Order: sequence, then structure tokens, then C-alpha cells
Amino acid sequence: MADLLPGFDDETLYEDAPCGYLATLPDGTVLRVNRTLLRWTGYDSDELCGTRFQDRLTLAGRIYHETHFAPLLRMQGSISEVALDFVCKNGERLPTLVNTVQRTDEEGRPVVNLTTVFDARDRRRYEQELLAARDVARTAALELQRLNSELEQRVAAAVEERLTAEDALRQSQKMEAIGQLTGGVAHDFNNLLTLVIGGLDLIGRQIPSQPPGPGTERIRRARDAAMEGARRAAKLTQHLLAFARRQPLEPRLLEVNRLIREISDMLRRTLGEQVELETVLGAGLWDVEADPVQLENAMLNLGVNARDAMPAGGKLTIETHNSSLDDSYVAGVPEGLAAGQYVMIAVSDTGCGMDLETQQKVFEPFFTTKEVGKGTGLGLSQVYGFVRQSGGHVRIYSEPGVGTNVKIYLPRARPGIEAEPERRVEPAAMSGDEKILVVEDHEDLRHYIVGILTDLGYEVVATADGPSAIETIAKRPDLDLLLTDVVLPGGMNGRQIATEALRLRPGLKILFMTGYTHNAIVHDGRLDPGVALISKPFTYDQLGAKVRSELDGLPGHRRT
Amino acid sequence: MDILGRHNVTVSGKGERFMMFAHGFGCDRNMWRFVAPAFEETHRIVLFDHVGCGRSDSSLYDPVRHSSLQGYADDVVAIGRALGLEEAIFVGHSVSAMIGILAARTAPGMFGKLVLIGPSPCYINDGDYRGGFERSDIDELMTFMDSNFLGWSAALTPQIMGNPDRPELAEELNNSFCRADPDIAKSFARVTFLSDNRSDLEGVAIPALILQCSEDLIAPDSVGAYVHERLAGSALVRLRATGHCPNLSAPEETVEAIREWI
Repeated sequence: MADLLPGFDDETLYEDAPCGYLATLPDGTVLRVNRTLLRWTGYDSDELCGTRFQDRLTLAGRIYHETHFAPLLRMQGSISEVALDFVCKNGERLPTLVNTVQRTDEEGRPVVNLTTVFDARDRRRYEQELLAARDVARTAALELQRLNSELEQRVAAAVEERLTAEDALRQSQKMEAIGQLTGGVAHDFNNLLTLVIGGLDLIGRQIPSQPPGPGTERIRRARDAAMEGARRAAKLTQHLLAFARRQPLEPRLLEVNRLIREISDMLRRTLGEQVELETVLGAGLWDVEADPVQLENAMLNLGVNARDAMPAGGKLTIETHNSSLDDSYVAGVPEGLAAGQYVMIAVSDTGCGMDLETQQKVFEPFFTTKEVGKGTGLGLSQVYGFVRQSGGHVRIYSEPGVGTNVKIYLPRARPGIEAEPERRVEPAAMSGDEKILVVEDHEDLRHYIVGILTDLGYEVVATADGPSAIETIAKRPDLDLLLTDVVLPGGMNGRQIATEALRLRPGLKILFMTGYTHNAIVHDGRLDPGVALISKPFTYDQLGAKVRSELDGLPGHRRT
Repeated sequence: MDILGRHNVTVSGKGERFMMFAHGFGCDRNMWRFVAPAFEETHRIVLFDHVGCGRSDSSLYDPVRHSSLQGYADDVVAIGRALGLEEAIFVGHSVSAMIGILAARTAPGMFGKLVLIGPSPCYINDGDYRGGFERSDIDELMTFMDSNFLGWSAALTPQIMGNPDRPELAEELNNSFCRADPDIAKSFARVTFLSDNRSDLEGVAIPALILQCSEDLIAPDSVGAYVHERLAGSALVRLRATGHCPNLSAPEETVEAIREWI
């Protein structure tokens, strides 16, 4: 065989093989090393022989040799492709792959280790690249995982936000629906109450002309009791309308601090001795445009609720200050609110507070936490309806066991509105002889109204719808007053009748009647400046006084 | 599988007294193959694999619990309790020497004698204390281990292990002794070489034999002397054997030293 390789004897093949050869004792002491490995490492044969080969490794390699290489070799008798780094004579590092077989004697005791050493610089570089790539992949995977979980969190947050918004919207839609319902019921109820009160009124007027005696007296008492009941019923429907935002408001320029000072005595009496009242009224408070009677009612309702929440006593604080609600605040008001300047009235108690579920329901009509018979469940509904109808906003904060805080925001009055003096109608002389056209589709009601006016001396013409009313106006140029219902059948509403009437008869005085004002006559639930209106149900005296004052054109009626 | 199965525990031999052998970092219970049989006539021999090594159940590994040697010591105690060990002889190599001391502290009465082969309570130099290594050496070891795990355990083993049609491949693997889960092995290396259990040497009242090799890179003479000094009632025997694994390189000498002492 050697003849086939001239010049390449076994010695040369061993010394110059393309890999390193090492023969060592079992403890690593080098017996022989070939030229290739000497060339790679830069050592002389003398420098390596007699020393332990593991001492030529990097420290990490030496640790690995002790903990893995040597034990494995002893147990297996051989070891393959272990990565070890030699330290060359010049200090450079030589990455290698090492294979070793251990020769043993007949009793199995190790005698010599035979080792081949392969130059693994390229392979190690490639491995390092692989390791780096693996690290990049791991980092990317972690990043992806993080993004995924972040995305999940964001989706969850968005869903949560959406659910909250939907919840709030549902709540406001519910309030709206209840408002429609109660408003409708209250309107019909008012028509009926007008009849009841009218009938009782008439009975009352007839009593003095009856022969005195126990029978008459019984009728008077029964009539008075019935009248009282009817009035309370009227008040109740008023509250319902207030919640439904269908009550005719009479807003005027109002100093909130003055109103609170004026009612604080009454509030103190309402609250009783157990509850301390403190008012902290902000300086330079803007005026608002609101119905003072309704605001008083609202404050009293809140006072009563606070008192009932503090059976063992406590403290009620009323604060006022100017407040600007920005876009981000109003965005959180599902029922809608304009950003801008508001006057805030905060009513805080130190009472029992309420949980979230209760807070969501407190503004609903007839919702009450009080014992049966102790509350109507309409107090906070009134507050809510009145404030909403006035273009404002109510917010409730409550902590069970700590207290409740209700904040009312009323819009700052538009500049240029002047305060209106209180309108007082002297009912002294209600009678007259002017000519009045009554438009009312409800037949009984029409008879009732015509009866009162006729009784007072007026000359009355009555129709049930718009077209016949216009016809009458055209025929009767001597009419002084048009008294018309707002909602009418026959294609024309009260406002359209009034417009047409004024076209035919400029200067004709007009008085509207309505059970509620959700119609063309009222803007935003307020009286249109320049129109006169009487709310159903009304009494004989109320109608008489209103008609008289309208005919007389008493001051306070702004004509536009 | 119970705790014994999950740690690949076997019990063999005759005799009253239990003798538990614990392998060190880099190996598994196979490393006792030349030493343990020598005691089978007189003792009941307990062999086991630490978690992540040999045929142990890798799912036992808990990154938190096994982030200190105490976690491994707790495993030893769990095995000891399952076997009902009392006053047993614990033979621990390398890092398992310290694991044995921690286990003995954790479960008084479980071990009556400790044989510590190449113990080190702290591998890193700290002031006057010469553990033998600097922190940077250990970091280098971690990087270096990747080179070898890439070569066999990490790259080859999972693929072959995952070939259900040819299960024999796993057995034919090169370097099939001392199999290890690469990630757990790296963590074990870190826990081992970064541990500092010097304070745990104080107050151990159990008789202990320290076997100190010559020219031991991992646990040099100074460390053996340190352990001997701190461990009350310990005996120190210097072996002629060189290196870190006298149980493999010089089993007769190792067996003789242990037998003489116990």
C-alpha cells in the first residue's frame, strides 16, 4: 500500500494528517502529539509532552473537561465531537471538536486516551451565528407574545369601554322611554283633572246658594276633601311632567346664591335639629336662566332625601361655584350635554350612601328606597327632569356608609337677558265683556271652559279644530282673544292657528292651554318669549285671572 | 409517577443502613457505577438523578424553587422521606456535597454521616476567600456550554427523541451517559457556580468525611481546607487521585477512603 503513496510513509501520514492527534495518559498527560496540532497551536512537542492537555484549554473548557468530558470518557470509553477551545502559544484561541477513545487493560483499567482534534473555527463561527439567530428568534417570539398579550389587553379594554358606554346609553334610553310614558300619562291625567277640579269648583260655587243645614255642610266638606285630593293629584302629575321634561318651565334670570339663602330657613325646618346645614356659596357666581320654583323644589327634594339618609343626624353641605365643563367631560355624558360654562350646586350629606345599582335607578320615577307610604319616588325624578329640561346635568356620587353627593350643573345665563320681575296677577276683577274664541278638541273640557268664561261675562265662541277656528276668525273681526289648546286634530296645531290668526288679525291676543308642552309652541321646554300659556289643570280662578291679565296686557309679557 | 420514579430512584444491596449517592453537575447516577457496588454487601444503596439529569422527570423542574441549591436539597429530603431514611449515609459529589449539607440541615435525623467528595461552599473568589473562579469565568462557562449543547443535547437529542418510529436512536446517541435537559443543565450550572453556602457550614453537628483530590480545578485544596475548618467534627482525607472525579478516575482509592471512615 505504501508503494501507492511514494514519499508518504506512516510517519508522514500521522504527523501531517489534516487533523490533530494526541495520545495521553488517563489523567490527560500528553504522551505524543502530531505536527498538525503543533502547527495549529504554535507549541513545540517538548512544550506539550509531559503536561496535561486539559491545561491547554480555556478556563471554561477546563471546567467542562472536569465536569463532563473526563467522567463521560471514563463511563463510555469514548466521546464524540465535544467542543473544546485550545489556547495557542500566542494567546489566540483555537476552537476544536474533539473525539477520544479510551483504551483499557484486561481488567478494564484505563491505559491510554487517543484523541483526534478537528479545526472547528468555521463550524464554531457558524454555531455562534446560529446561537445569535436563535436569540434573535427568541427575542422576536417574546416580543410577539408581549404584543399579543398587549393586543388582548387593549381589545379587552376597548370592549369594556364599549360595554360601559352601551350601559350608559341604555340607561339614558330607559330614562327617555320612561319619560315619554309618564309624560303621556300625565298629560291625559291633566285633562281629566281639569274636569274634576272644574266640577268641584262649580259645586263650590253653587253651595252658598243652597239652603244651609247639615246636608249642605256635608256636601261642602266632601267637596273640599275631593278638591284637596284633586290638587294633590295635580301636584303629582306636575312632578311626573317634571321628570318627563314636559312641564312648562318659566325660566328667568336667577341668582342661585340668593335663592339658596332665601330657602335655607325652610330647608333647616325640613332637615330638623339632628342635621346641621352648611352653605358654602361661591363668590362671583354667574347667573343662570332657570325656573326658580322648580329649582326650589329640586333643593327641597334633595334636602328631604338627605335627611332621610341621615336618620341619626349628620351634616348637609350646599356648595356653589362656577364650573367649566370641557369636551372630555361632556363626552362622558351619554344623554348629551354642551361643553361650556355652568353654575354648579353640590348637595352633600354624611348619610348611609347607596350602592352602584341604586345610583343607576334613583332618578327613575317611583323608584324609592323608603318604606311604602313614606316617599313618592318622584323627588329625584323632579331634580333630574328639571335640570335636564333646563339644559343642565346632574351627577351623583355615593359611597355606601360614607354619604352622597349630588351635583347640579345649570348653564350660565346667556348674556343680554334681563331679570323678569315676579308676575303677580291680581284676581280681583276677572270678569269682562270681550269676545273670546275657544279652540279645544276635548268636548267636556270645551264645555267647562266656555262655562267659566260665559259665567265671567265674556262672549264666547268655541270650535274643536284649527280649520273651523280660522273660519271663525275670518268671519268675526271683533274677536279680542284666541284661547287655544296646543295639540289638536284636524291638521293644524295651536301654533299654526295662532300664526294664521295673527296674519288675518294682527294684534289679536293669544293664550295657549296645554297639559304639557312637548310641541311646537315651546323651544327646549321653555316658554317662547311673547306667548302666554296656562297649564292644565286649571281652576276657575286661575283661568279667569289669566284671561283677564292677557286681555289687559299686564306688564311682564314681552311681545316680540 | 411517584417521587421515587420521577427521580429515577433505585434501591439495591443488603444491610441495615441506607447509603445515598448523589451525583454532581455534569453527570447522572451512572457516575457511581465503580463505587456504589462496593458497598452493596453491607448497605442498602440508593441512587437517583437530580431533576433535569439522566432519566429524571424534567417536569419536576421549577424555575423558582430550583434557583437555589436549597431546591435541590428539598428534592433529596423528599426522596429520603419517601424511603423513610434515618441516620443514613449521604455520599455527595461536587455540588451535591453542599446539597447534602443543606438536606441534613433541613431534615435533622435523616442523615447520620456525610461523605463529601470535592465539596465547595462557594466557587467565586470573595476577598480573602479563594473559591477558585472569578465571576467572569462563570459567564464564559455559560456561553461555552451553549457550544456543546448545540452540538448534542439541544440540537440532536430532541429530534431523535421525537422520532417514535426509531426509539433505539436515542439509546445509540453519542455521549448518551449523563444526558441532561440543556436548559435545566445551564440553570444548574449557574446555580452551582454562583452559589454561596458558606454560612450553611456552621452548626452542622453530623460527622463528615471530606475527600480532597489533588490538582482539583473545581474544588482546590484551599476550599477543602476551608470546609474542614468550618465543619465541626469533619475529617479531611487527601486522595492521590487528580482531577475532580475520583469516583471515576480512582474508584478503588475512593471506596477505600469511604469504607475506612464509615
